[in-house]
Amino acid sequence: MDYDPMVMDDAEALGPVVKISQADSVRVKFELSNADIAFANSLRRVMLGEIPTIAIDLVEIEDNSSVLADEFIAHRLGLIPLNADGVEALLYARDCDCDGCCEHCSVRLTLHAKCTGDENMHVFARDLVPTGDRVNQVLGTPVVSDSEGLGPLILKLRPGQEVKLQCIAKKGIAKEHAKWAPSAAIGFEYDPHNKLRHTDFWYETDAKTEWPPSEYASWEEPPQEGEPFDYDAVPNRFYYNVESAGNLPPDTIVSEGIKVIQQKLAGLIHELADEGGDGMNGDYNGPRSPEYGTGADGFGGGYTTPFGNGGNQSSWGGAGGAGGTTPYGATPYGAGQSSWS
Amino acid sequence: MARTKTKKEESVEPGSDVVMDEVPTSHQPESRDDMSVDEDENDEVEVEDNDAEVEDDVQRVRLLPGSTPTAASFEFLNEGHTLGNALRYIIMKNPDVEFCAYAIPHPSEPKMNVRIQTFDSTTAVEALEKGLRDLQELCDVVTDQFVVAREKFMAK
Repeated sequence: MDYDPMVMDDAEALGPVVKISQADSVRVKFELSNADIAFANSLRRVMLGEIPTIAIDLVEIEDNSSVLADEFIAHRLGLIPLNADGVEALLYARDCDCDGCCEHCSVRLTLHAKCTGDENMHVFARDLVPTGDRVNQVLGTPVVSDSEGLGPLILKLRPGQEVKLQCIAKKGIAKEHAKWAPSAAIGFEYDPHNKLRHTDFWYETDAKTEWPPSEYASWEEPPQEGEPFDYDAVPNRFYYNVESAGNLPPDTIVSEGIKVIQQKLAGLIHELADEGGDGMNGDYNGPRSPEYGTGADGFGGGYTTPFGNGGNQSSWGGAGGAGGTTPYGATPYGAGQSSWS
Repeated sequence: MARTKTKKEESVEPGSDVVMDEVPTSHQPESRDDMSVDEDENDEVEVEDNDAEVEDDVQRVRLLPGSTPTAASFEFLNEGHTLGNALRYIIMKNPDVEFCAYAIPHPSEPKMNVRIQTFDSTTAVEALEKGLRDLQELCDVVTDQFVVAREKFMAK
Protein backbone atom coordinates (compact mmCIF):
# COMPACT_ATOMS: atom_id res chain seq x y z
CA MET A 1 0.00 0.00 0.00
CA ASP A 2 3.00 2.21 0.50
CA TYR A 3 3.26 3.25 -3.08
CA ASP A 4 2.92 6.52 -4.80
CA PRO A 5 2.31 6.45 -8.53
CA MET A 6 4.04 9.80 -8.86
CA VAL A 7 7.45 8.54 -7.80
CA MET A 8 8.61 7.10 -11.07
CA ASP A 9 12.31 7.73 -11.14
CA ASP A 10 13.35 5.18 -8.54
CA ALA A 11 12.38 2.66 -11.18
CA GLU A 12 12.22 -1.01 -10.40
CA ALA A 13 13.49 -0.83 -6.83
CA LEU A 14 9.94 0.00 -5.86
CA GLY A 15 8.45 -3.04 -7.49
CA PRO A 16 5.49 -3.02 -9.81
CA VAL A 17 2.66 -0.57 -9.26
CA VAL A 18 -0.90 -0.81 -10.52
CA LYS A 19 -3.16 2.17 -10.98
CA ILE A 20 -6.73 1.83 -12.20
CA SER A 21 -8.11 4.68 -14.26
CA GLN A 22 -11.48 3.26 -15.19
CA ALA A 23 -13.47 0.26 -14.03
CA ASP A 24 -17.04 -0.78 -14.66
CA SER A 25 -18.93 -3.95 -15.47
CA VAL A 26 -17.51 -4.30 -18.97
CA ARG A 27 -13.99 -2.93 -18.84
CA VAL A 28 -11.09 -2.10 -16.61
CA LYS A 29 -8.36 0.28 -17.65
CA PHE A 30 -5.19 0.21 -15.64
CA GLU A 31 -1.57 1.13 -15.73
CA LEU A 32 1.16 -1.27 -14.72
CA SER A 33 4.38 0.54 -14.01
CA ASN A 34 7.85 -0.44 -12.86
CA ALA A 35 7.45 -3.73 -14.65
CA ASP A 36 9.31 -5.23 -17.54
CA ILE A 37 7.77 -5.55 -20.96
CA ALA A 38 8.35 -9.30 -20.83
CA PHE A 39 6.13 -9.68 -17.79
CA ALA A 40 3.58 -7.17 -19.04
CA ASN A 41 3.28 -9.09 -22.28
CA SER A 42 2.95 -12.41 -20.43
CA LEU A 43 0.02 -10.97 -18.55
CA ARG A 44 -1.56 -9.74 -21.77
CA ARG A 45 -1.07 -13.07 -23.53
CA VAL A 46 -2.40 -15.08 -20.63
CA MET A 47 -5.53 -12.91 -20.35
CA LEU A 48 -6.14 -13.32 -24.06
CA GLY A 49 -5.67 -17.01 -24.41
CA GLU A 50 -5.36 -19.06 -21.27
CA ILE A 51 -8.11 -18.21 -18.82
CA PRO A 52 -10.58 -21.07 -18.54
CA THR A 53 -14.20 -20.24 -19.30
CA ILE A 54 -17.20 -22.21 -20.49
CA ALA A 55 -18.68 -22.37 -23.98
CA ILE A 56 -20.99 -24.63 -25.94
CA ASP A 57 -18.89 -27.38 -27.45
CA LEU A 58 -21.38 -30.01 -28.56
CA VAL A 59 -24.81 -29.54 -30.11
CA GLU A 60 -27.32 -32.33 -30.57
CA ILE A 61 -29.90 -31.18 -33.07
CA GLU A 62 -33.23 -32.92 -32.81
CA ASP A 63 -35.14 -30.78 -35.21
CA ASN A 64 -34.14 -27.91 -37.43
CA SER A 65 -36.49 -26.62 -40.08
CA SER A 66 -35.01 -23.12 -40.05
CA VAL A 67 -33.20 -21.75 -43.09
CA LEU A 68 -29.82 -22.12 -41.39
CA ALA A 69 -27.80 -25.30 -41.65
CA ASP A 70 -27.24 -27.38 -38.50
CA GLU A 71 -23.50 -26.73 -38.37
CA PHE A 72 -24.05 -23.03 -38.94
CA ILE A 73 -26.33 -22.87 -35.90
CA ALA A 74 -23.92 -25.00 -33.89
CA HIS A 75 -21.13 -22.57 -34.66
CA ARG A 76 -23.25 -19.60 -33.64
CA LEU A 77 -24.19 -21.32 -30.40
CA GLY A 78 -20.55 -21.95 -29.63
CA LEU A 79 -19.78 -18.26 -29.82
CA ILE A 80 -22.46 -17.22 -27.32
CA PRO A 81 -20.83 -16.04 -24.10
CA LEU A 82 -21.90 -18.08 -21.09
CA ASN A 83 -21.49 -17.02 -17.50
CA ALA A 84 -18.23 -18.54 -16.30
CA ASP A 85 -18.67 -17.70 -12.63
CA GLY A 86 -17.46 -20.72 -10.70
CA VAL A 87 -15.89 -22.42 -13.70
CA GLU A 88 -12.91 -23.44 -11.54
CA ALA A 89 -15.19 -25.98 -9.86
CA LEU A 90 -15.87 -27.54 -13.25
CA LEU A 91 -13.55 -30.25 -14.57
CA TYR A 92 -12.14 -30.34 -18.05
CA ALA A 93 -14.11 -33.01 -19.91
CA ARG A 94 -10.85 -34.79 -20.73
CA ASP A 95 -9.99 -35.05 -17.01
CA CYS A 96 -13.42 -36.26 -15.95
CA ASP A 97 -14.04 -39.91 -15.13
CA CYS A 98 -17.39 -39.87 -16.86
CA ASP A 99 -18.14 -41.29 -20.27
CA GLY A 100 -18.57 -38.26 -22.51
CA CYS A 101 -20.00 -35.59 -20.24
CA CYS A 102 -21.65 -35.25 -16.86
CA GLU A 103 -22.62 -32.48 -14.42
CA HIS A 104 -19.04 -32.33 -13.12
CA CYS A 105 -17.55 -31.41 -16.49
CA SER A 106 -20.39 -29.85 -18.49
CA VAL A 107 -23.55 -27.82 -18.47
CA ARG A 108 -26.50 -28.82 -20.58
CA LEU A 109 -28.63 -26.20 -22.30
CA THR A 110 -31.73 -26.74 -24.36
CA LEU A 111 -33.27 -24.61 -27.04
CA HIS A 112 -36.74 -25.28 -28.32
CA ALA A 113 -38.45 -22.65 -30.40
CA LYS A 114 -41.29 -22.83 -32.89
CA CYS A 115 -42.76 -19.97 -34.79
CA THR A 116 -46.50 -20.31 -34.35
CA GLY A 117 -47.54 -16.76 -35.20
CA ASP A 118 -47.74 -15.00 -38.56
CA GLU A 119 -44.65 -12.89 -38.00
CA ASN A 120 -41.07 -14.02 -38.24
CA MET A 121 -39.75 -15.04 -34.87
CA HIS A 122 -36.40 -14.12 -33.39
CA VAL A 123 -34.60 -16.65 -31.22
CA PHE A 124 -32.25 -15.07 -28.68
CA ALA A 125 -29.65 -16.40 -26.29
CA ARG A 126 -32.09 -15.97 -23.41
CA ASP A 127 -34.12 -18.80 -24.96
CA LEU A 128 -31.26 -21.18 -24.19
CA VAL A 129 -32.29 -22.83 -20.95
CA PRO A 130 -29.74 -24.57 -18.72
CA THR A 131 -31.07 -27.94 -17.58
CA GLY A 132 -29.96 -30.55 -15.12
CA ASP A 133 -27.54 -30.27 -12.24
CA ARG A 134 -24.92 -27.59 -12.27
CA VAL A 135 -21.91 -26.74 -10.17
CA ASN A 136 -23.69 -23.54 -9.18
CA GLN A 137 -26.82 -21.75 -10.28
CA VAL A 138 -25.22 -19.23 -12.64
CA LEU A 139 -22.52 -21.24 -14.39
CA GLY A 140 -23.37 -21.72 -18.05
CA THR A 141 -26.26 -19.27 -18.16
CA PRO A 142 -26.13 -17.21 -21.37
CA VAL A 143 -24.84 -13.68 -20.80
CA VAL A 144 -27.58 -11.13 -21.35
CA SER A 145 -26.40 -7.56 -21.04
CA ASP A 146 -28.74 -5.60 -23.33
CA SER A 147 -31.48 -3.45 -21.87
CA GLU A 148 -34.31 -5.64 -23.25
CA GLY A 149 -32.80 -8.73 -21.66
CA LEU A 150 -32.65 -10.71 -24.89
CA GLY A 151 -29.02 -11.55 -25.40
CA PRO A 152 -27.43 -12.20 -28.80
CA LEU A 153 -29.71 -13.16 -31.68
CA ILE A 154 -29.16 -16.79 -32.64
CA LEU A 155 -31.52 -17.21 -35.60
CA LYS A 156 -34.87 -16.18 -37.07
CA LEU A 157 -37.79 -18.49 -37.81
CA ARG A 158 -40.49 -18.16 -40.46
CA PRO A 159 -44.04 -19.18 -39.47
CA GLY A 160 -44.11 -22.93 -38.96
CA GLN A 161 -40.37 -23.40 -38.64
CA GLU A 162 -38.93 -25.01 -35.55
CA VAL A 163 -35.60 -25.68 -33.89
CA LYS A 164 -35.11 -28.15 -31.09
CA LEU A 165 -31.65 -28.85 -29.82
CA GLN A 166 -29.52 -29.74 -26.84
CA CYS A 167 -26.18 -28.08 -26.19
CA ILE A 168 -23.36 -29.31 -24.03
CA ALA A 169 -21.14 -26.54 -22.74
CA LYS A 170 -17.65 -27.46 -21.62
CA LYS A 171 -14.71 -25.79 -19.97
CA GLY A 172 -11.86 -24.69 -22.17
CA ILE A 173 -9.33 -22.00 -22.99
CA ALA A 174 -9.10 -19.58 -25.90
CA LYS A 175 -5.82 -21.09 -27.05
CA GLU A 176 -7.91 -24.02 -28.23
CA HIS A 177 -10.81 -22.02 -29.64
CA ALA A 178 -11.55 -18.30 -29.44
CA LYS A 179 -15.07 -18.99 -28.17
CA TRP A 180 -13.50 -19.59 -24.74
CA ALA A 181 -11.94 -16.12 -24.68
CA PRO A 182 -13.01 -14.20 -21.57
CA SER A 183 -12.09 -10.84 -23.09
CA ALA A 184 -13.63 -9.18 -26.09
CA ALA A 185 -10.44 -7.17 -26.52
CA ILE A 186 -7.35 -6.27 -24.59
CA GLY A 187 -5.77 -2.93 -25.24
CA PHE A 188 -2.07 -2.85 -24.55
CA GLU A 189 0.02 0.24 -25.01
CA TYR A 190 3.24 1.77 -23.83
CA ASP A 191 5.38 4.79 -24.61
CA PRO A 192 2.59 7.07 -25.93
CA HIS A 193 5.08 9.64 -27.26
CA ASN A 194 7.07 7.00 -29.11
CA LYS A 195 10.24 8.11 -27.37
CA LEU A 196 11.64 4.60 -27.71
CA ARG A 197 10.91 4.65 -31.43
CA HIS A 198 9.35 1.18 -31.37
CA THR A 199 6.78 2.47 -33.83
CA ASP A 200 7.39 4.15 -37.12
CA PHE A 201 4.53 6.49 -37.97
CA TRP A 202 3.54 6.84 -41.58
CA TYR A 203 2.95 10.46 -42.56
CA GLU A 204 2.42 12.71 -45.56
CA THR A 205 4.17 15.83 -44.32
CA ASP A 206 4.40 15.69 -40.54
CA ALA A 207 3.64 12.72 -38.26
CA LYS A 208 3.02 14.97 -35.22
CA THR A 209 0.09 16.82 -36.78
CA GLU A 210 -1.38 13.88 -38.70
CA TRP A 211 -1.51 11.34 -35.88
CA PRO A 212 -3.88 11.99 -32.98
CA PRO A 213 -2.16 11.86 -29.59
CA SER A 214 -2.64 8.69 -27.58
CA GLU A 215 -5.20 8.58 -24.81
CA TYR A 216 -2.29 8.22 -22.41
CA ALA A 217 -0.14 10.97 -23.92
CA SER A 218 -0.95 13.30 -21.04
CA TRP A 219 0.18 10.67 -18.54
CA GLU A 220 3.79 10.88 -19.58
CA GLU A 221 6.25 13.71 -20.18
CA PRO A 222 6.32 14.73 -23.84
CA PRO A 223 9.79 14.67 -25.37
CA GLN A 224 11.74 17.92 -25.14
CA GLU A 225 12.54 19.76 -28.30
CA GLY A 226 15.85 18.50 -29.62
CA GLU A 227 16.13 15.84 -26.93
CA PRO A 228 18.72 13.23 -27.95
CA PHE A 229 17.49 9.67 -28.48
CA ASP A 230 18.06 7.58 -25.36
CA TYR A 231 19.01 4.22 -26.80
CA ASP A 232 19.25 2.65 -23.32
CA ALA A 233 15.67 3.45 -22.40
CA VAL A 234 13.27 0.57 -21.89
CA PRO A 235 9.50 0.75 -21.58
CA ASN A 236 8.24 0.50 -18.02
CA ARG A 237 4.71 1.87 -17.98
CA PHE A 238 2.06 -0.25 -19.62
CA TYR A 239 -1.54 0.70 -20.24
CA TYR A 240 -4.08 -2.09 -20.36
CA ASN A 241 -7.69 -1.91 -21.41
CA VAL A 242 -9.37 -5.19 -20.58
CA GLU A 243 -12.82 -5.49 -22.05
CA SER A 244 -14.92 -8.41 -20.89
CA ALA A 245 -17.16 -10.44 -23.18
CA GLY A 246 -19.55 -10.78 -20.25
CA ASN A 247 -18.64 -14.27 -19.10
CA LEU A 248 -16.21 -13.03 -16.43
CA PRO A 249 -16.10 -9.57 -14.84
CA PRO A 250 -13.13 -7.54 -16.13
CA ASP A 251 -11.25 -7.40 -12.83
CA THR A 252 -11.64 -11.16 -12.48
CA ILE A 253 -10.02 -11.55 -15.90
CA VAL A 254 -6.94 -9.72 -14.62
CA SER A 255 -6.69 -11.66 -11.38
CA GLU A 256 -7.44 -14.94 -13.12
CA GLY A 257 -4.74 -14.12 -15.67
CA ILE A 258 -2.15 -13.74 -12.94
CA LYS A 259 -3.45 -16.91 -11.35
CA VAL A 260 -2.91 -18.82 -14.59
CA ILE A 261 0.71 -17.65 -14.73
CA GLN A 262 1.11 -18.69 -11.10
CA GLN A 263 -0.30 -22.11 -11.84
CA LYS A 264 2.07 -22.57 -14.78
CA LEU A 265 5.02 -21.67 -12.55
CA ALA A 266 3.81 -23.81 -9.66
CA GLY A 267 3.50 -26.79 -11.98
CA LEU A 268 7.04 -26.36 -13.22
CA ILE A 269 8.48 -25.81 -9.75
CA HIS A 270 6.69 -28.92 -8.56
CA GLU A 271 8.11 -30.88 -11.44
CA LEU A 272 11.64 -29.64 -10.87
CA ALA A 273 11.34 -30.52 -7.18
CA ASP A 274 10.08 -33.97 -8.08
CA GLU A 275 12.85 -34.65 -10.51
CA GLY A 276 15.67 -33.62 -8.22
CA GLY A 277 19.10 -33.13 -9.68
CA ASP A 278 19.87 -36.33 -11.54
CA GLY A 279 16.39 -36.97 -12.81
CA MET A 280 16.92 -34.06 -15.16
CA ASN A 281 19.44 -35.96 -17.19
CA GLY A 282 17.08 -38.27 -18.98
CA ASP A 283 14.69 -37.88 -21.81
CA TYR A 284 11.17 -37.02 -21.03
CA ASN A 285 8.55 -39.07 -22.63
CA GLY A 286 11.24 -41.38 -23.86
CA PRO A 287 11.84 -44.90 -22.71
CA ARG A 288 9.70 -44.67 -19.65
CA SER A 289 7.47 -47.28 -18.21
CA PRO A 290 3.89 -46.16 -17.88
CA GLU A 291 3.51 -47.36 -14.29
CA TYR A 292 3.57 -44.37 -12.09
CA GLY A 293 6.74 -44.07 -10.12
CA THR A 294 8.51 -47.26 -11.09
CA GLY A 295 12.16 -47.11 -10.20
CA ALA A 296 13.76 -44.25 -8.42
CA ASP A 297 14.83 -42.51 -11.56
CA GLY A 298 11.56 -43.15 -13.31
CA PHE A 299 13.14 -44.83 -16.26
CA GLY A 300 13.02 -48.53 -17.00
CA GLY A 301 16.30 -49.93 -18.20
CA GLY A 302 15.79 -48.28 -21.52
CA TYR A 303 14.17 -51.24 -23.15
CA THR A 304 10.67 -50.59 -22.03
CA THR A 305 8.37 -49.05 -24.53
CA PRO A 306 5.91 -46.50 -23.34
CA PHE A 307 3.23 -49.01 -24.23
CA GLY A 308 3.75 -51.14 -21.21
CA ASN A 309 4.88 -54.36 -22.79
CA GLY A 310 8.07 -55.95 -21.69
CA GLY A 311 11.12 -55.20 -23.72
CA ASN A 312 11.60 -56.97 -26.98
CA GLN A 313 7.91 -57.20 -27.58
CA SER A 314 5.85 -55.46 -30.14
CA SER A 315 3.33 -52.99 -29.00
CA TRP A 316 0.66 -55.09 -30.63
CA GLY A 317 0.83 -57.49 -27.78
CA GLY A 318 1.88 -60.59 -29.67
CA ALA A 319 1.92 -63.76 -27.65
CA GLY A 320 5.11 -64.66 -25.86
CA GLY A 321 8.30 -62.76 -25.93
CA ALA A 322 9.99 -65.00 -28.45
CA GLY A 323 11.52 -63.17 -31.34
CA GLY A 324 9.91 -63.60 -34.68
CA THR A 325 6.44 -62.75 -33.52
CA THR A 326 4.70 -60.78 -36.19
CA PRO A 327 2.87 -57.63 -35.36
CA TYR A 328 -0.32 -59.60 -35.84
CA GLY A 329 0.26 -61.97 -32.99
CA ALA A 330 0.60 -65.52 -34.23
CA THR A 331 1.27 -66.11 -37.87
CA PRO A 332 -1.75 -67.30 -39.78
CA TYR A 333 -0.07 -70.64 -40.38
CA GLY A 334 -0.33 -71.67 -36.79
CA ALA A 335 3.30 -72.65 -36.31
CA GLY A 336 4.48 -72.44 -32.76
CA GLN A 337 2.42 -70.38 -30.39
CA SER A 338 -1.11 -69.93 -31.54
CA SER A 339 -2.94 -67.17 -29.87
CA TRP A 340 -5.93 -69.34 -28.99
CA SER A 341 -4.17 -72.06 -27.12
CA MET B 1 -5.71 -62.47 -85.44
CA ALA B 2 -9.06 -61.14 -84.45
CA ARG B 3 -10.17 -64.70 -83.64
CA THR B 4 -7.20 -65.38 -81.45
CA LYS B 5 -7.93 -62.20 -79.65
CA THR B 6 -11.48 -63.24 -78.92
CA LYS B 7 -10.21 -66.63 -77.80
CA LYS B 8 -7.89 -64.95 -75.42
CA GLU B 9 -10.70 -62.88 -74.06
CA GLU B 10 -12.73 -66.07 -73.63
CA SER B 11 -9.85 -67.68 -71.84
CA VAL B 12 -9.68 -64.75 -69.51
CA GLU B 13 -13.25 -65.24 -68.42
CA PRO B 14 -12.84 -68.78 -67.17
CA GLY B 15 -9.58 -67.60 -65.62
CA SER B 16 -11.39 -65.03 -63.57
CA ASP B 17 -13.85 -67.72 -62.60
CA VAL B 18 -10.99 -69.76 -61.29
CA VAL B 19 -9.92 -66.84 -59.21
CA MET B 20 -13.40 -66.67 -57.81
CA ASP B 21 -13.19 -70.36 -56.92
CA GLU B 22 -9.90 -69.84 -55.23
CA VAL B 23 -11.28 -67.24 -52.93
CA PRO B 24 -12.95 -69.64 -50.51
CA THR B 25 -9.95 -71.97 -50.40
CA SER B 26 -7.51 -69.17 -49.65
CA HIS B 27 -9.95 -67.71 -47.20
CA GLN B 28 -9.17 -70.06 -44.34
CA PRO B 29 -5.88 -68.62 -43.26
CA GLU B 30 -7.29 -65.17 -43.87
CA SER B 31 -10.18 -65.85 -41.55
CA ARG B 32 -7.63 -66.74 -38.89
CA ASP B 33 -5.97 -63.50 -39.68
CA ASP B 34 -9.24 -61.76 -39.10
CA MET B 35 -9.44 -63.23 -35.65
CA SER B 36 -5.99 -62.12 -34.81
CA VAL B 37 -6.84 -58.71 -36.17
CA ASP B 38 -9.68 -58.61 -33.68
CA GLU B 39 -7.18 -59.28 -30.96
CA ASP B 40 -5.04 -56.51 -32.26
CA GLU B 41 -7.89 -54.11 -32.00
CA ASN B 42 -8.33 -54.99 -28.36
CA ASP B 43 -4.66 -54.55 -27.81
CA GLU B 44 -4.74 -51.25 -29.50
CA VAL B 45 -7.36 -50.03 -27.08
CA GLU B 46 -5.06 -51.04 -24.24
CA VAL B 47 -2.22 -49.24 -25.90
CA GLU B 48 -4.26 -46.08 -26.02
CA ASP B 49 -5.05 -46.41 -22.34
CA ASN B 50 -1.41 -46.73 -21.50
CA ASP B 51 -0.69 -43.75 -23.65
CA ALA B 52 -3.18 -41.71 -21.67
CA GLU B 53 -1.51 -42.79 -18.46
CA VAL B 54 1.81 -41.67 -19.80
CA GLU B 55 0.24 -38.38 -20.78
CA ASP B 56 -0.71 -37.73 -17.18
CA ASP B 57 2.83 -37.61 -15.93
CA VAL B 58 4.73 -36.42 -18.95
CA GLN B 59 7.89 -34.73 -17.93
CA ARG B 60 7.49 -31.18 -19.17
CA VAL B 61 11.02 -29.96 -18.58
CA ARG B 62 14.14 -31.73 -19.62
CA LEU B 63 17.79 -30.95 -19.81
CA LEU B 64 19.10 -30.97 -23.33
CA PRO B 65 22.22 -33.01 -24.06
CA GLY B 66 25.58 -31.29 -23.75
CA SER B 67 24.72 -29.46 -20.57
CA THR B 68 27.13 -28.86 -17.73
CA PRO B 69 26.13 -27.78 -14.21
CA THR B 70 26.72 -24.11 -14.89
CA ALA B 71 25.68 -23.99 -18.53
CA ALA B 72 22.52 -25.79 -19.47
CA SER B 73 19.72 -25.76 -21.99
CA PHE B 74 16.26 -26.73 -20.90
CA GLU B 75 13.43 -27.79 -23.10
CA PHE B 76 9.90 -26.99 -21.96
CA LEU B 77 6.90 -28.75 -23.46
CA ASN B 78 3.68 -26.85 -24.12
CA GLU B 79 5.13 -23.51 -23.19
CA GLY B 80 5.70 -20.49 -25.39
CA HIS B 81 6.49 -16.80 -25.37
CA THR B 82 4.09 -16.28 -22.46
CA LEU B 83 6.39 -18.03 -20.04
CA GLY B 84 9.60 -17.91 -22.03
CA ASN B 85 10.15 -14.19 -22.22
CA ALA B 86 9.09 -13.46 -18.65
CA LEU B 87 11.26 -16.29 -17.35
CA ARG B 88 14.21 -15.14 -19.41
CA TYR B 89 13.83 -11.65 -17.99
CA ILE B 90 13.60 -12.75 -14.38
CA ILE B 91 16.51 -15.19 -14.66
CA MET B 92 18.66 -12.46 -16.17
CA LYS B 93 17.84 -10.35 -13.11
CA ASN B 94 19.67 -12.92 -10.97
CA PRO B 95 23.20 -11.55 -10.42
CA ASP B 96 24.63 -15.09 -10.40
CA VAL B 97 23.48 -15.65 -13.96
CA GLU B 98 25.86 -14.82 -16.74
CA PHE B 99 23.53 -15.44 -19.65
CA CYS B 100 19.95 -16.44 -20.24
CA ALA B 101 17.96 -16.62 -23.44
CA TYR B 102 14.95 -18.45 -24.76
CA ALA B 103 13.91 -19.67 -28.16
CA ILE B 104 11.03 -21.43 -29.81
CA PRO B 105 12.93 -23.60 -32.27
CA HIS B 106 9.98 -24.25 -34.53
CA PRO B 107 6.57 -22.53 -34.46
CA SER B 108 4.61 -25.71 -35.07
CA GLU B 109 6.27 -27.67 -32.27
CA PRO B 110 4.98 -26.90 -28.76
CA LYS B 111 8.47 -26.59 -27.39
CA MET B 112 10.40 -23.76 -25.80
CA ASN B 113 14.11 -23.83 -25.04
CA VAL B 114 15.82 -21.84 -22.33
CA ARG B 115 19.59 -21.51 -22.15
CA ILE B 116 21.08 -20.59 -18.80
CA GLN B 117 24.75 -19.98 -18.10
CA THR B 118 25.72 -19.11 -14.56
CA PHE B 119 28.81 -18.07 -12.69
CA ASP B 120 30.36 -20.67 -10.40
CA SER B 121 28.33 -19.47 -7.43
CA THR B 122 25.23 -21.37 -8.55
CA THR B 123 24.04 -23.96 -11.05
CA ALA B 124 21.79 -23.60 -14.03
CA VAL B 125 19.08 -25.78 -12.48
CA GLU B 126 19.12 -23.68 -9.33
CA ALA B 127 18.95 -20.51 -11.38
CA LEU B 128 15.94 -21.86 -13.24
CA GLU B 129 14.20 -22.77 -10.03
CA LYS B 130 14.98 -19.40 -8.51
CA GLY B 131 13.68 -17.73 -11.65
CA LEU B 132 10.39 -19.58 -11.41
CA ARG B 133 10.02 -18.65 -7.75
CA ASP B 134 10.94 -15.02 -8.39
CA LEU B 135 8.38 -14.82 -11.15
CA GLN B 136 5.80 -16.26 -8.77
CA GLU B 137 6.68 -13.58 -6.25
CA LEU B 138 6.36 -10.92 -8.93
CA CYS B 139 2.91 -12.27 -9.74
CA ASP B 140 2.00 -12.10 -6.05
CA VAL B 141 3.07 -8.48 -5.87
CA VAL B 142 1.11 -7.54 -8.98
CA THR B 143 -1.97 -9.34 -7.65
CA ASP B 144 -1.71 -7.45 -4.36
CA GLN B 145 -1.17 -4.20 -6.19
CA PHE B 146 -4.16 -4.84 -8.39
CA VAL B 147 -6.42 -5.73 -5.47
CA VAL B 148 -5.34 -2.60 -3.60
CA ALA B 149 -5.80 -0.41 -6.67
CA ARG B 150 -9.24 -1.86 -7.28
CA GLU B 151 -10.34 -1.26 -3.71
CA LYS B 152 -8.98 2.24 -3.89
CA PHE B 153 -10.85 2.87 -7.13
CA MET B 154 -14.10 1.40 -5.82
CA ALA B 155 -13.85 3.57 -2.70
CA LYS B 156 -13.74 6.68 -4.83
